[in-house]
Amino acid sequence: MTARITDIQRFCMHDGPGIRTTVFFSGCPLRCKWCHNPETQKAGAQMYYNQSKCIGCGGCTVTCPNGAHVFSDGHLYDRARCTACGACAAACPSGAVSSVSREMEISDIVAEIKKDVAFYGDGGGMTLSGGEPMAQPEASIALLGASKDAGLSTALETCGYFPAQYVKELAAVTDLFLWDFKDSDDARHRENTGVSNAPILENLRAADKTGVPIVLRCILLKGINFNEAHLREIRALRDSLAHCIRVDLLPYHPMGDSKNTLLGQENGFHDKKYIVTPEEIQSAYAFINQ
Amino acid sequence: MEFYTSYKDPRPVRCSEATRLFAYESLNHKYGLDTKKVENALLDHIEGISDMELFDQYDIAIEEIVKQAPIRICEGEKISGAATLGHAIRHLVPATIKTISLCSSVSHLTIDFESVLKNGVGVIREQILASMKKHTDPDRLRFLKSALHCMDCFTFWHGRYLDALKDRPGYEVNYENLKQVPFGTPRNFHEAVQSLWFVFAFVRLTGSWPGFGRIDYLLGDYLKKDLENGTLTMDEAREILAHFFIKGCEWIAGGNYTSGDAQHYQNIVLAGIDEDGNEVTNEVTYLVLDIIEEFGISDFPVTIRISDRTDPHLLRRAAEVIRHGGGVIALYNEDLVLRALTDYGYPLREARKFANDGCWEVQIPGKTQFTYVPFDALWVLQTRTLAQYDGSEHFDSFDALYARYRDELEKHVEWIYEDRRDSFVERDATTGEWKWKPVFPGTIVSLFEQGCIEKGQAYFEGGPVYNVCSPHIGGLPDAANSLYAIKKLVFDDKLVSFDELMTILANDWEGHEDLRRYAEEHYNYYGNDNDEVDLIAARILGDFADCCKALDGRCPIMFPSGVSTFGRQLDWVPFRFATPFGKKKGAVLAGNLSPTPGTDKEGATAIIKSYCKADLSRHATGAALDIRLLPGDVKDEEGIAALVGLMRGFIALGGFFMQIDVADAKVLLDAQEHPENYQTLSVRVSGWNARFVTMNRQWQDMIIQEMKRS
Repeated sequence: MTARITDIQRFCMHDGPGIRTTVFFSGCPLRCKWCHNPETQKAGAQMYYNQSKCIGCGGCTVTCPNGAHVFSDGHLYDRARCTACGACAAACPSGAVSSVSREMEISDIVAEIKKDVAFYGDGGGMTLSGGEPMAQPEASIALLGASKDAGLSTALETCGYFPAQYVKELAAVTDLFLWDFKDSDDARHRENTGVSNAPILENLRAADKTGVPIVLRCILLKGINFNEAHLREIRALRDSLAHCIRVDLLPYHPMGDSKNTLLGQENGFHDKKYIVTPEEIQSAYAFINQ
Repeated sequence: MEFYTSYKDPRPVRCSEATRLFAYESLNHKYGLDTKKVENALLDHIEGISDMELFDQYDIAIEEIVKQAPIRICEGEKISGAATLGHAIRHLVPATIKTISLCSSVSHLTIDFESVLKNGVGVIREQILASMKKHTDPDRLRFLKSALHCMDCFTFWHGRYLDALKDRPGYEVNYENLKQVPFGTPRNFHEAVQSLWFVFAFVRLTGSWPGFGRIDYLLGDYLKKDLENGTLTMDEAREILAHFFIKGCEWIAGGNYTSGDAQHYQNIVLAGIDEDGNEVTNEVTYLVLDIIEEFGISDFPVTIRISDRTDPHLLRRAAEVIRHGGGVIALYNEDLVLRALTDYGYPLREARKFANDGCWEVQIPGKTQFTYVPFDALWVLQTRTLAQYDGSEHFDSFDALYARYRDELEKHVEWIYEDRRDSFVERDATTGEWKWKPVFPGTIVSLFEQGCIEKGQAYFEGGPVYNVCSPHIGGLPDAANSLYAIKKLVFDDKLVSFDELMTILANDWEGHEDLRRYAEEHYNYYGNDNDEVDLIAARILGDFADCCKALDGRCPIMFPSGVSTFGRQLDWVPFRFATPFGKKKGAVLAGNLSPTPGTDKEGATAIIKSYCKADLSRHATGAALDIRLLPGDVKDEEGIAALVGLMRGFIALGGFFMQIDVADAKVLLDAQEHPENYQTLSVRVSGWNARFVTMNRQWQDMIIQEMKRS
């Protein structure tokens, strides 16, 4: 079985306990306006183009079957003609154009993760993230299961928006859920992510019943959800769960914007005005821990 | 009064205000600048001095040093003694004739502090006299006479401090302590610390730079006893030990030096097992970490001997200190080092005592004479094997290329061996026995090295029990990457012929930017956990060890291999050319066994994995790896877990020596523009740390380059 992935990152320490290797699956059912991994939203093939790396060799113009690459007073890349076939990436010496994602065998992914087994100790292991891993549900469960079979500890980073039938199977192969809770106000949730939070909360409660520990991950944006009402809801949600071991309050950052440039897309959302300061985050923690 | 940290939280406060002020002023050049006021003892008034032999001049110099050196007593100091002549900071015996320095001094050694504490220094005089009775050879007697004279000089200098402290209000304890030590044995922790410091200060006064060795092993029992008796509290002990570390900052003077102002190879080793196999870690171990954490004093770089038996609390404390940056803490993989030393031939009980030489090279302290010879593995490839790409060399296969490279490596190692052997020893024409040649005088350090007094032979003349000259291979990752790139481009992927590639490299890649970028982008080089290139690196290291082993044992000099550059990659730039893996002439390449800058893409775990594929136990002097992390990597509990995880992997995979520094390239760039704001910011350079703003631009740029992520 294969999975479509964008990356495998070693030596991650913010995706679960200890040293971890994080696998990023491609594709996501949500379209959060603030997404800092925009390359993971689309499920299919895409191309990165980094103009600063282009050395003008012209290799892409020869190999492209669709004429998307031309040289006319510099290198022009017409994405409208691009089918993301990847022929240009194979011909590019400098890595200026490259594929965003690739198909990989589950067993090969596990082999990659096992490379750092000497560093995992008791706490570390693998984290499955993305995008939304559960947009490829069979592959996710297969990868988590294969990792557990290999003796690795597993964590799943999920937005929680997937068919409810998978919760039990997932829980059997996951040691830790890192579960997003983006907004308590459903109308606002729909407006900013494209979907309702109801199925997400339902899956969360079902996951809680399985006994697997949960970390709630709550993005906060000034002027959107950074207010007392939402913080109160976060607190209430945490208290209502039997196995929530921690709440992480994550301040918005506009870092995904450079990736939008590489994808040739604009994101009209990114703005400093949404940033929550470290001091404000500290107060928020104090508030929910009252 | 802030002590610089790379971490988001400030350093903890445990010591008194007075001690903190003492630390702050010392780190901000107060005593270093004072030391520069009097640079040397002047010898010009000695009649006939210019016509004497160097060895006689040296004896007079030591006498004049102890007579002329200013006495310094710092306000509120709990430990007394100071090396106050400025040229000692420059690795010279601080004595001049007509403004010309007399001779160089000795470093890269850790003297026998254990005997200083166990027996006191007074017995040395008796040992010299006893030895004089045994020897008849005039050279032996001449050395022993010099030794006796130097002991008298030590006594004289000690007497000056007694006079200065006697009846001085507030220094009664200092005076009483010095009445007992270092000539007698210490009766408590304070005396033990004072004894160590006073001997250390004396050796430094005369220009030589000893390392410290296993300070917790040396001091632990004294502290335990005082705590049990109730005669000392932990806080009081911390103050005393803090003063020891602060006194060690007496040479910090700011200013601008090539590789930075710090370190005089005062390395300290913590933890690990003693000769009986019992773990040493004690209260002193944790006090040292407390003090370094509070003040960020990098002048005594600390290396911790860790194993899978190490108390997790110690690993955690080490991680907490590492987080503050400054590169103060490094790590030895104890079991691997023990294996390296015993495989080399040291008895296990000896091997267990290992420390380093004040820099990072492993040695048995108190009884080892050490020098080393660095060389560039990339030069062996580019100049010796490939004739600087002039087209005269051609190879039809990778195996043929590697075989020739190995031959050139072997020839160069032989050349080093013969050159060093001939500079130290020669065979007697009549008896055929090995004789030691006189080098330059080193009587002072000889006093404190086991074997010298007994044999009547000085430090450089075969006195110590072990006499080591270690060739160090540098540029190893660059050589491995080069061989790998040639293998891929020419022989495997056949993108270019061998001769074409030689021409391209001879022209510094001119006109072949596409191939150059291809070489850079499409192969995974050393440091990315790619077996194909990592095993080439491992193979070179194994062959290098074989070359050294084949030569070892033929003469009294021991010839263990080591792996390091220690900043030399900067010096080597003019002698290196374009590389097959995409670098142009002028690039600054790999330091120690760290990846070539810009080629590592997978992070710290992959780097450690690449590093550990060689059998590092074959290099008894050591093999060094630098890991540089961002402050964000080591934040909070996750950061601690990450650091401890790296340590565990380093041990499990068979690493030798690893130093971890935490710094932000952005901060360093700012420090280049505004040095006045970053006076005490230290970075790990190699076996030592240095204050970043005292380095020249080239060194600063090199450190920044290493800090940047690919």
